[in-house]
Amino acid sequence: MARAFGGALLLLGIGGVVIAAVEIALFWPLEGPVWLYSLFSLAGLVYLTAGLAAWWRRPSNHIGAIIVLSGGVWLAVALVNTDVTALVAVGLILATGPLAVAVWLLHAFPSGRLRSNVSVATVVAAFVVTFGLQTPQYLFAPRSSGDVLSIADRPDLVTLGLDLQRVAGIAVMVVTAVVLFTRLRQSAPQQRRVLAPLYAYGIVAVLVVPLGPLIEPVFNLSFLGVTAGQLVLLAGVPVSFVLAMLRGGFARTGEVAELGAWLGGTASERMPLVNALRRTLGDETLVVVYWAPERRRFVDALGQSISLPVPGDTGRGIVEITLGDRLIGALVYDRAMNEDPELVRSAGRVAAIAIDNERLTAELIANQAALRLSRARIVEAGDRERRRIAQNLHDGIQVELVLLAIGAQELRHAGSAADLDVAATQLRNGIDDAASHLRELVHAVMPAGLIERGLTAAVEDLVDRMPLPTNLVVVDVEEPVSPTVGSTAYFVVAEALANAVKHAGATTLSVRLERTESQLLIEVADDGVGGAASGAGTGLRGLLDRVDVLGGQLAIDSPLGHGTHLVAELPCGS
Amino acid sequence: MRIVIGEDEALLRAGLSHVLERGGFDVVAAASDADELVQAVELHRPELLVTDIRMPPSHTDEGLRAALDIRRSHPTLPVVVLSQHLQRRYAIELLAQPTAGVGYLLKQRIGDVDAFCDDLRRVHDGASVLDPQVVQLLLARARTDHDALRRLTPRQQQVLALMAEGRSNAAIGRALSVSERAVVQHTSHIYDELALPPSDDDHRRVLAVVRFLAW
Repeated sequence: MARAFGGALLLLGIGGVVIAAVEIALFWPLEGPVWLYSLFSLAGLVYLTAGLAAWWRRPSNHIGAIIVLSGGVWLAVALVNTDVTALVAVGLILATGPLAVAVWLLHAFPSGRLRSNVSVATVVAAFVVTFGLQTPQYLFAPRSSGDVLSIADRPDLVTLGLDLQRVAGIAVMVVTAVVLFTRLRQSAPQQRRVLAPLYAYGIVAVLVVPLGPLIEPVFNLSFLGVTAGQLVLLAGVPVSFVLAMLRGGFARTGEVAELGAWLGGTASERMPLVNALRRTLGDETLVVVYWAPERRRFVDALGQSISLPVPGDTGRGIVEITLGDRLIGALVYDRAMNEDPELVRSAGRVAAIAIDNERLTAELIANQAALRLSRARIVEAGDRERRRIAQNLHDGIQVELVLLAIGAQELRHAGSAADLDVAATQLRNGIDDAASHLRELVHAVMPAGLIERGLTAAVEDLVDRMPLPTNLVVVDVEEPVSPTVGSTAYFVVAEALANAVKHAGATTLSVRLERTESQLLIEVADDGVGGAASGAGTGLRGLLDRVDVLGGQLAIDSPLGHGTHLVAELPCGS
Repeated sequence: MRIVIGEDEALLRAGLSHVLERGGFDVVAAASDADELVQAVELHRPELLVTDIRMPPSHTDEGLRAALDIRRSHPTLPVVVLSQHLQRRYAIELLAQPTAGVGYLLKQRIGDVDAFCDDLRRVHDGASVLDPQVVQLLLARARTDHDALRRLTPRQQQVLALMAEGRSNAAIGRALSVSERAVVQHTSHIYDELALPPSDDDHRRVLAVVRFLAW
């Protein structure tokens, strides 16, 4: 659809260029100021171009269409200077039309709509003045001058009509000025800064036409010079208005509504969200960034974390987007293109759900890669654990049992009853040892305390066996957590304590467990040498993966010389 | 002595019955889960109850909970619980009982039949008995926390451990090959050093010591 629309606009533009070219070709053989005649056509092209640009960038705003219409009128007016009778007639009828359209533009800017009855009446009056009061000029013109529409040569009526038109035109402009001034007073300061010079310029440019004959003698200018000046002044109108419209910070509800319509479209024909936002806000440099809550930072569409520009530093503005009270992302935009962050914010609000979707996609892409890796590590860790258990059973218990069997065999060869007694006691002690080794092994795989009494008891058990003074604080953990959360929490504490004892050179340790409504908080701290990092050992890496599987968080703060502080949060909805 | 045992593992149940019969006990019932255990106690009114802590259906601490329930309706019934592994909480929960005659032993103690039977008889006679390994664990833990404990001499620490196990002064004397009078001197020094209330009642003494160690 966007393509068809663009094609139609392009055709309009090409048509305008062809007409202007034909006109200039018609002027060329004529006597008189051909350059001045051509200026009319060129002014028409300027309007047309500016109007098409505005129409393309802001399809739902009528300003573009009004300016394009104005360009058409200009091209028609230029016909008056040809020597083709019918074309001259068209030019004569429309001669002052551009001024009416200019008044319409002034009233409709920037929303594209006439917002009050006064505005509508004024614009209608402007059209009546330019088209109705124009009729005496060509109906009662002297026939000799080549006026093809003349029905009688009545110079008195021509003069009367001209005076009437001038007075009425000035009245229209006065009303316009009052309307615009009122509107200025009601607008926000930053809009006023853009609108005030624009309105002033528009009014002056329009007034210069009826007042032209008065200006001529004052500044001692030739008729040609004044006309050329008027043309340039009027040609500047669409350029300045379109620039202001595309770059100024006006509340473009139309565009935002359009964005909403885009969001409602089916996904297949949708352009990327960022392009839709860029088009809506007229800022090609706009960037959408997404909030990754678990990483507590902004990421791009591929899930890579990015740093935002410092606001107020680079000319880049940042508007955060929330859905409900949840931060989901931000728009980074060019402040020169959109002075008013409110517009960017409202576009962000409209697109919030789509942005949240894209955010989830970005998160998913980032998580997928991490997930694959962590899955592989979990499988590896599981295998490693099995190998270790098998090895321990094989090297330890199995060997012990073989030796015990040999010992039992030896009982037969005991000489005396006393020898038999000693051998039997040895055998029993050996069996005790084997049993105790087996118990240790089973304990390492899954502590009995954890199975029988849950997390708190198991951690107490662990703390009991610590060779260093270990302070344990438990808050609200009596309400049982799920077995998975319990065992993960247990192994986090066990690994962290083991690391602290083995590597940290600590003198005291502390463990804290706290159950809140939604999560289990685990803290393990020591006063050792610090410098631990999660990437360092397979133990910590394995912990991170275990915690990750449950959707939890694990952070290690370990500045050199200041101990190690591990904090894990495991979600456990009750 | 009429005794009821609770043990879910069939082989171990048979083994335990065998060991106890050989040790001169009269095993009147062998329950395989907590409900059976309660029923057996109601039915047979034994003089001693011995049960595994881990029992069906959840294989957590049903045995211990059943034993504590039974103690509530039969406060004078001596109870010994057996545990596969050390767990400070079990000892503390048992010792929180207001009356004497409780024991907490590791299962591996069964292997040393004579000592095991001796422990059961002591509990039956109103002592409170803790497995030496449980006491060692408590002591090791307490040593890191209590300065007072570190000020005790090695011999005094041995005496303290035996007190916690539930031994009488005479038994401690025998175990350490010293006179009972020497043991009394050690215990009074320990009472002073740890600021414990002196007590001649064995159960209260264990209670005080364990409370100090486990605090």
